[in-house]
Amino acid sequence: MSLQTAADVKSCCAAAYSSPAAAFLLDDSLHPGGAALTRRLADAVELRSGQRVLDVASGRGTTALLLAKEYAVAVDGVDLSDASVREATAAAQHAGRAASVAFHLADAEQLPFDDGTVDALVCECSWCLFPDKAQAAAEFARVLRAGGRVGIADVTVGPAGVPDGLAELPAWIACLAGARTTEEYVGLLTAAGLTATRVEDHRDALAELIGRIQARLKLARALSKSGAQQETHAMERGLVLAARAAQAVSQGALGYCLIVARRDR
Amino acid sequence: MTMMARMMRRVSSPAGTRRRNGPDRAEPSRARKADRDEVFLEYTKSICPVCKVLVDGQVNVRDDKVYLRKRCREHGTFEALLYGDAGMYMDSLRFNKPGTIPLTLQTETVEGCPLDCGLCPEHKQHACLGIIELNSACNLDCPICFADSGIHHPDHYSLTVAQVEEMLDVFVASEGEAEVVMFSGGEPTIHPRLLECIDRARAKPIRHVVLNTNGIRLARDKGFATALAERDVSIYLQFDGFKESTHLQIRGRDLRGLKQRALENCAEAGLTVTLVPAIERGLNDDELGAIVRFGIEHPAVRSVAFQPVTHSGRHVPFDPMNRITNSDVIHGLCRQLPEWLRPSDFFPVPCCFPTCRSITYLLLAGDDVIPVPRLLNMENYMDYVANRVLPEEQAIRAALERLWSSSAVAGTATVAEQLQCASCATGVPSSLADLADTAFMVLVQDFQDPYTLNVKQLMKCCVEEITPDGRLIPFCAYNSVGYREQVRERLTGIAVPDVIPNANTLAPLLADSAHGSKLAVEEPERKREPATASINLGRRLQ
Repeated sequence: MSLQTAADVKSCCAAAYSSPAAAFLLDDSLHPGGAALTRRLADAVELRSGQRVLDVASGRGTTALLLAKEYAVAVDGVDLSDASVREATAAAQHAGRAASVAFHLADAEQLPFDDGTVDALVCECSWCLFPDKAQAAAEFARVLRAGGRVGIADVTVGPAGVPDGLAELPAWIACLAGARTTEEYVGLLTAAGLTATRVEDHRDALAELIGRIQARLKLARALSKSGAQQETHAMERGLVLAARAAQAVSQGALGYCLIVARRDR
Repeated sequence: MTMMARMMRRVSSPAGTRRRNGPDRAEPSRARKADRDEVFLEYTKSICPVCKVLVDGQVNVRDDKVYLRKRCREHGTFEALLYGDAGMYMDSLRFNKPGTIPLTLQTETVEGCPLDCGLCPEHKQHACLGIIELNSACNLDCPICFADSGIHHPDHYSLTVAQVEEMLDVFVASEGEAEVVMFSGGEPTIHPRLLECIDRARAKPIRHVVLNTNGIRLARDKGFATALAERDVSIYLQFDGFKESTHLQIRGRDLRGLKQRALENCAEAGLTVTLVPAIERGLNDDELGAIVRFGIEHPAVRSVAFQPVTHSGRHVPFDPMNRITNSDVIHGLCRQLPEWLRPSDFFPVPCCFPTCRSITYLLLAGDDVIPVPRLLNMENYMDYVANRVLPEEQAIRAALERLWSSSAVAGTATVAEQLQCASCATGVPSSLADLADTAFMVLVQDFQDPYTLNVKQLMKCCVEEITPDGRLIPFCAYNSVGYREQVRERLTGIAVPDVIPNANTLAPLLADSAHGSKLAVEEPERKREPATASINLGRRLQ
């Protein structure tokens, strides 16, 4: 990776995910599985109406608003991108949910919430981005009340780590480089004092998302035939990498998992 | 004895009995209760494939496949594969649009579905597409023909222009503005007054006219192709694959050269073509990808409509438990074209029952093939159960409904317009608009046969046969229940015995009919009276 420091990675990922290009490429489901997998995650952490839920790396607020609307919960979202927090806040206001949904500029490794104050925590496709995953897991455990659950959906790698052709990924795709194996994720949660209660393989959802990205890159290429050469080059590069990623998923070198862990005490 | 003592005795007596008998007699059995090997999913109605009597049916899931099982008191138990991927079957149920009530109905509800066709007041959907079979004669004698048409049959019929006019009027009365009328047969291109019939249709409020043909006349008669183009007719061209064996087994002749010439003439005349392959397991199911690739590359072709062979009428012997279904075609196609397609690119058509028909649209840009469903969240708009569409998104849903419809005709301005409208859902409003004219449609449609007929699906059918006596009969009822035989008999005045599927399990029962299809060795006497006091037997079609 060309980006060396943890701080650089964080700001790069946050900025990239909030860019209009990412929004176009990924539509409004910024994570594999889209809204359907978000609902599955919400069911898995056993959300009940009136609960307080924390959405870590809340992006443009899509998941937070879905949870507030469909599960009647109060949601706090945290994100490292100032632009995302502002956009998500505006979306909550537009949806008339500003009273129950709030977004904060904050680091997952230093959550601005008191101990044991959160009923459930979700973190979708983002834990892989955090440079200090153990610290983030400790924060998850700290803010959860006893009996509360954390629901993780995230990119996984096979035992051999990040596939060769993908280690040099630029910009937002670089975030994949931080992915771990499912077992390592479970180990990190366990080390933080949480008990894993459910582990599911959702590699198909990642394959679907890559297929969507490929389709959108091709569309962008078709629409910008007369566009700048630099732009076309970026799309060509993106298509090469997306094809490698698709191959890695089919070979089991990349995947996607859903993990639920409970804070017992 | 005191009152208390009597009560005590009464109370204690049964308990004592239990104690005495319990441990001695009810020795725990060594036998274990077994679980069923299937998930019971639906209770429905179907017909006996032999005598066509209405019977109850059960839909079950076994080994990730969906089966329909039913029992006829006279002919026993029958089972057939409905869908090769149970997950896909279950998932499709959300994509079920509330039906639309037609302006007029042609029959009353008397006996119940499917004996009152149609359309009767119980039918759940209007007719997206009306079919007029102009004749029963053909210039081919294919081993596979659900219409049981042919060259050498003694009992042909051929409709008059006046009859066609009346049938069109019934369709228009029912629809107001009708979407699509399809001229079929037999082989409609050998009907001497086909062009006149098309003109009559063109003079009515019917948006699209489609001609269903084997292509022989198109290959030989350029003037005919031009005449069709002048009338803005879309072509449904029978096109089963590229192997000689495919042609010999499905058509009885190697038609490859003829098909190529037909397509060349269509391209030259400016006709747009849908390739219509009949797919049979083990016969041409290895040619799915090649057909789509060929279609995309051919200038005249704008869509492919895969149809698993309908085991009504005439067909080669088959195994009802291992027939090819919609999900088998979709998975097979995606395996053969992994660089272009994934199963999730296909979405069920919500106007009919969602397990009947699935569609995807592909944008063609240079060498790129871009499936439209990857560019927008189809579920957001097409899930009618969760129904999460916002008021401002209704226009997008309406556009998608026009595209994912049995009345969508690829290559028409209507499809391009709706794709432009759906562009808004991609976040880049110009995105689809610029490529809409190139959109290529791939459709998979599994028609029901006397084995697979599920009344639940039939009740929402939106593809209807228009009959000369002024009925609109759901296509699969027409082919399976006995309506085709009934209509043919009335038109020719010659009796048409019940046609029975050429299923391997029925082999001992089967004899050849005059048309090359199969009938029962001893034709069962038609049951004119309803079976009485039975939960499982009703009346058959009179």
